[in-house]
Amino acid sequence: MPYNNGSIRAAIALVGLMAAAISLALLTPAVEQGMLISAGSVYAQEDWKTEFESVCAKTQDPGALSDDELKKLVDRCDKLRPFIEKLDETQRKVYLKRLQMCRNLFAFILESREKK
Amino acid sequence: MPKREGEIMKKLFFLLLFVLVCTGVVLAQTGLKKKRPLPYEYGRVLINNFSEKAGIAPVVFDHWLHRSRFTCRLCHVDIAFAMKAGGTNITAADNMKGYYCGTCHNDKMVYNEKTVFGSCSIKSAPTDFRRCERCHSYGKNVKVENDFAQFAARLPKERFGNGINWEKAETDGLINPVDFLEGVSIKRPPLAVQKDFSISAKVEGMPDIVFSHKKHTAWNGCELCHPEIFIGVKKGTTKYSMVEIFEGKYCGVCHSMVAFPLLDCQRCHTTTVQ
Repeated sequence: MPYNNGSIRAAIALVGLMAAAISLALLTPAVEQGMLISAGSVYAQEDWKTEFESVCAKTQDPGALSDDELKKLVDRCDKLRPFIEKLDETQRKVYLKRLQMCRNLFAFILESREKK
Repeated sequence: MPKREGEIMKKLFFLLLFVLVCTGVVLAQTGLKKKRPLPYEYGRVLINNFSEKAGIAPVVFDHWLHRSRFTCRLCHVDIAFAMKAGGTNITAADNMKGYYCGTCHNDKMVYNEKTVFGSCSIKSAPTDFRRCERCHSYGKNVKVENDFAQFAARLPKERFGNGINWEKAETDGLINPVDFLEGVSIKRPPLAVQKDFSISAKVEGMPDIVFSHKKHTAWNGCELCHPEIFIGVKKGTTKYSMVEIFEGKYCGVCHSMVAFPLLDCQRCHTTTVQ
């Protein structure tokens, strides 16, 4: 028999390494194409809008939010921004403006409390 | 007598020079008097970022019709129109994709049992040119679909602007501006209304201003005014001057353009808060 246990083990190890390398190569573009990783949660491309709506829905009563909540909202806006910047030109124009208005309001309330 | 004629000419020259200098000084102080827009013209915005470059007439947008149907917030927050003419940079492509004007003007949206006509289209049917002219109408004699006089007849009157008391029209239920569009607006809880407050007038004898958040939030959201228009974070830290307001800052962003004009002093300068 031309093959022994050592050769088989080496072959399996080589195949395993190749599979890992291929998986890594496939995953990297997916990360680059807009999967946001934030505090352990991952936003798929379609979920950015859900996140956007969740953040900007808070503009109705920002005065009732705590400083910590407002800071988190500003942070969430900042994390969303790079994703919106990758959208097509029209969507980018619209959603960047909307996001900026939300962010500016939260920052404004925070600043007003700091200056009181 | 040449000497006498010379003296007369000299006097005339100095008189002319004096008149010219005085005119220049007056114009430098006040500028040329602007023509007050007619009721149907008040709130008219000319949009010409790309129209003339594309060989088409600029867009004439009349606020009076749209504000009777939709809140300021819907258009200027949810649909993301800028607060200044030309600030949005709307393209035909944007409209065709269903954004900006195309949000509603898409041949699909129904308002008052009528389908809202579609804006910019890549189709080239013979009737489409007339559709373009419904908006791209500057300098053209285009027959308007909605008659202002007929529209305004049933609404409460005011002295200036459109001649329509929009506040009363809304509170009396004569108009019911839409504030939410499915697929565009974000589902939110009702807006928490802030308290009214007074602003002291600088001119002695002028009644103080009572600012009502409630009246403004019937049309706007917080993010429309704060901080883009009102950046003051503490009451009294921002000094509002009527000169700046008349130049289109602060209250003047809306009240020199679409909302009741600044000429109507008594609308704001009412009484002090009790």
